[in-house]
Amino acid sequence: MSTLASRPRKLALDPRRAGIGRTLLTAIVTLVMLGPILVVFWLALRPRLYTEITGPTLETFAYIFAETDILLWLKNSAMVSILATLISVIVAAPAGYVLSRGRGGAVSAYSLFIFVLQSFPVVVFVIPLFIMFASVGLVDSLSGVAIIYVASSVAVACWMMSAYFDTIPVTLEEAAWIDGCSVFGGFVRIVLRNSLPGVLSTAIYAFLLAWNDYLVALVFLRSDDRFTLPIGLQTFFQQNQTDWGPVMACAVVMLAPPVLIFALLNRFFSIGGIGGALAGK
Amino acid sequence: MTGLALPAIVLMVVVNAYPVVFAGIQAVHDGDLLGLGNFVGFANFQDALTDPLFWRSARFTVIFSLCGVFGSWMIGFALALMLKPSFPGKNLFKILLLLPWIVPIVVSSMSWNWLTATPGSLLPTLAADLGFGRVMFLADPTMAMITVCIFKIWISYPFMMMMMSAALEGIEPNVNEAARVDGANARQRLRYIVLPMTARSTYISWILMAMFSVNDFATIFLLTGGGPVNSTTSLIVLAYRSVFQDFRPGFGVAISFLMTAALVTMSVILLRQMRKANMQ
Repeated sequence: MSTLASRPRKLALDPRRAGIGRTLLTAIVTLVMLGPILVVFWLALRPRLYTEITGPTLETFAYIFAETDILLWLKNSAMVSILATLISVIVAAPAGYVLSRGRGGAVSAYSLFIFVLQSFPVVVFVIPLFIMFASVGLVDSLSGVAIIYVASSVAVACWMMSAYFDTIPVTLEEAAWIDGCSVFGGFVRIVLRNSLPGVLSTAIYAFLLAWNDYLVALVFLRSDDRFTLPIGLQTFFQQNQTDWGPVMACAVVMLAPPVLIFALLNRFFSIGGIGGALAGK
Repeated sequence: MTGLALPAIVLMVVVNAYPVVFAGIQAVHDGDLLGLGNFVGFANFQDALTDPLFWRSARFTVIFSLCGVFGSWMIGFALALMLKPSFPGKNLFKILLLLPWIVPIVVSSMSWNWLTATPGSLLPTLAADLGFGRVMFLADPTMAMITVCIFKIWISYPFMMMMMSAALEGIEPNVNEAARVDGANARQRLRYIVLPMTARSTYISWILMAMFSVNDFATIFLLTGGGPVNSTTSLIVLAYRSVFQDFRPGFGVAISFLMTAALVTMSVILLRQMRKANMQ
């Protein structure tokens, strides 16, 4: 027994031995993994071509805010992403509740329906939606794009909400029902009120998906004044291929909001539970 | 209670299901972006299945997805294991390591483009210094395939890390402790305790990542555009090009449908097997 206990433990799974050595190792791994992101910041400090400045400078940022439409792109991206996030959570929360609590054939069928739809690539949806949206004036419109983002995030959003509701004991609602609360009332007042982390988690997912999308915006947004950041940035990149300073300064502006949101709210974010909702109990 | 699912069902029927049905109709017609055109039966599917580029793209899709699934799983799982015990700075690293997944692909594709393809930037210089000569990371067909796959792994490992971290938290510390007391070494504990007890999450994350990888358009399109000489054209990129560059939506949708059919069949078989094996 004692020989076992005193054996050297350099083991990855031993929670007691981890210390400063682990910190160092993790720091090195993290540095390597984040290399391509550090490159973005490093290049953003490069002076523009054909300027007098040498050495690192923040002048590129002054330049992009003065000379490009980046503030407009930022505003468009923010509007689309926030709208998509709100709708996604409002729609997915009750649906996730059904997935979490419901039993029987209808719920299984619903679950399969979500799974199959989720499997189709956005390319399939794009033309029918384009034709449909054209007839109601949603092409080249930020609301139209937001609706498609909801459509592409809603499946995973339902699974995430359902996974969170699974952690809330059903006895809480049952007590409310006995006291005369309706199913909807029980859902809103008991379950949803205790699900802030689940709601935030889902919201972060929906926001990231909308903020980072490229394909939908590329197809649907036609006029310059409706460009979102990915399209604005890509266009700017194509026009200034070799002038990395201003291009990467725009990139920094684009990556800042999701990174800040994640930095602030990461303790609420959990996606690990979606397996239960996907694979059934 | 099922009424609560109504908003989601209505939304999904209008913006997901209806377009799929409509696309299904397009797939059996020869129209362009404006009109449906004539009914052509399964000609689009036949064209796709007899097109060498379709099979080449299918091959790259498989390579790309296998890399995406297993490459990112291995790295994500290793990082999850590394981050399991508590140590100084753990929470900070946990967030930092998620960044490749959070940073928009438009941005990361530009920085990878700089890293790999700009003369005088990091990787070409490094390769030259190591005696490999001028390595064309994005201009040589084989190198471009490798670069795109590594890019995909880099973007996707944080997702796997999150999935596997959650799974690892589900293992009772007592179980590991008991095995340790019984003399199981680290490798044995990984093989006989950690892997089986996280098997369910592993399979689910594979299925999800396979779905994400096969349908991943932006990663490939933004880094290489499918080139050089179509070496990194996956089925989804081919479908996109058929629709928006060749204006043959029927053909593009047919490709997507064949792809999705294969994907759903594979996922359903895997999910069945999981249920049969009654995994934890």
